[in-house]
Amino acid sequence: MFRRLGRHIKEGFLGVGRHFGMALSSSTAVAITLTLIGVFMVLTYNLVLTTNTIESSISLSALIDYDSEDQVNLQRIEGKIKEVNGVSSVTYHSKEDEFDFYVNSNTDPELQEFYEAYRDENPFRDAYIITISDGTMLQEVTRQVEAIPGVYQVYDGGANTYKLVDVLENIRLFGGILVVALAALAIYLVYNTIHITIDNRKDEIWIMRNVGAKNGYVRAPFLVEGIIIGLFGSIVPILIIGGLYYYLYNALQGTLFGTFALAAPFPFLYYLAAVLAGTGILVGFIGSYISVCKYLRIRR
Amino acid sequence: MIKIENVSKTYKNGTHALSNISLEIKDGEFVYIIGPTGSGKSTLIKLLNGEEVPNSGTVLVNDINVGKLRHSKVPVYRRNIGVVFQDYRLLPRKTVFENVAYAMEVVDAPRDTLRKRVREVLKLVDVADKSNVFPAELSGGQQQRVAIARAIANKPSILIADEPTGNLDPKKSDEIIRLLEKINQEEKTTILIVTHDIEIVRHHPKRTIAIDSGHITADLAGGGSI
Ligand SMILES: Nc1ncnc2c1ncn2[C@@H]1O[C@H](COP(=O)(O)OP(=O)(O)OP(=O)(O)O)[C@@H](O)[C@H]1O
Ligand SMILES: [Mg+2]
Repeated sequence: MFRRLGRHIKEGFLGVGRHFGMALSSSTAVAITLTLIGVFMVLTYNLVLTTNTIESSISLSALIDYDSEDQVNLQRIEGKIKEVNGVSSVTYHSKEDEFDFYVNSNTDPELQEFYEAYRDENPFRDAYIITISDGTMLQEVTRQVEAIPGVYQVYDGGANTYKLVDVLENIRLFGGILVVALAALAIYLVYNTIHITIDNRKDEIWIMRNVGAKNGYVRAPFLVEGIIIGLFGSIVPILIIGGLYYYLYNALQGTLFGTFALAAPFPFLYYLAAVLAGTGILVGFIGSYISVCKYLRIRR
Repeated sequence: MIKIENVSKTYKNGTHALSNISLEIKDGEFVYIIGPTGSGKSTLIKLLNGEEVPNSGTVLVNDINVGKLRHSKVPVYRRNIGVVFQDYRLLPRKTVFENVAYAMEVVDAPRDTLRKRVREVLKLVDVADKSNVFPAELSGGQQQRVAIARAIANKPSILIADEPTGNLDPKKSDEIIRLLEKINQEEKTTILIVTHDIEIVRHHPKRTIAIDSGHITADLAGGGSI
């Protein structure tokens, strides 16, 4: 069993050696793809990090309607809000709190004094400040909280909040699509290389099959070759992206534009290396697998 | 035992290679298949080793319905059939020993058994002294002997040779046929030889099946009066 595995691995390396030019060019293609995937991973990861921070800071205020509800029922309203799916925290703000907040949000002492005069006619309402766990649920949570009896109105920061959530969603989606497309391209290039390797070894495959080699046995060296190409193609991107990220993180002291916190290089870079190497192997494997299966399927 | 019943084979391009063929070959027989070019001889061989499937009829080999064999079962089935061709088909980068050993490696034969058997078959086909030589350094006759050694290494019950002497002069051809007769006797292998060479059939008369345009036109014990 191990002898056989050793033989397949040896054959795989021999295959790479025999078509070194081809193997090198598809490794390069894998490397380019993985570099782009890696860059995207870095961006996406950091984006998700900031997006999550932004999203978790998106809050709603649910104003209480005293015309229909007694103050006694506040407890019940709070309970109902907490039951809504997607709500992560609920805090009560009395209208005095709201008034203070409003007054204090102005730094001009003259303006503050001007507002203070209206404290007795406080136009604010008692409210619940609701934070939500996932930005995409903003609309749904708003709708459900508004339906709770005793809630007068829900403020959500308006259209801008929705827009921000939308943009972040789109960036994530676009990044995902691009990564998948690039991976498909790399798979295609490996597929082509293995296809040529197979073509060059047609006689040998024919002989193998004629003396009764099982399909798995015939496949193995080509799969190994594909994996070698993929793994080889992941080394350079790992070094480049890892080094660059590490350097930039230190140079920027961990923040971008002074506001967005970057992910710490470790353990993030270990994950990145694992994902890139894994993707390289997978890409190499899939490319050669398709190639070899196609060949074996048309021949009995 | 080979049992072919009402077999027809039409290729995808519409060529009728075999039309309603029936024949039976018992274990240990030595049989020639003769016929003009394009008559369907190679097609018959491909049906036997599972490379092609018949459009109708059944191909039974040792009670296995070859045409109905699942794709994944073909390799193991094939271990029971050795095939030799006119153009030898040896691996140029492997030595004589490695070429024969290859057939046994592929089926996961234990190392000791493999070494012993490879030496044995190389001796049987009389190229034991060329073990460490590459195919290009051998004569055509010697290359064909190596190919035969490879085909019988896994002890198949049937050995099929498609024009084994096609590239050899009469003397060498004669030697190859004598070798196949020896294998037939010593290893009890059923032998099927496809040939154009009537001289061979004359000198080594055996059961002879003649095919023409996909039909069996004669089946003569002992070579008859061909
Ligand atoms: N893969 C194929 N696809 C289509 N037609 C084929 C195929 N293989 C063989 N044929 C056709 O089937 C017929 C029989 O071919 P086959 O190879 O069995 O003849 P043969 O008797 O072996 O001839 P030869 O003596 O020249 O080797 C021929 O007309 C040939 O052109
Ligand atoms: Mg033929």
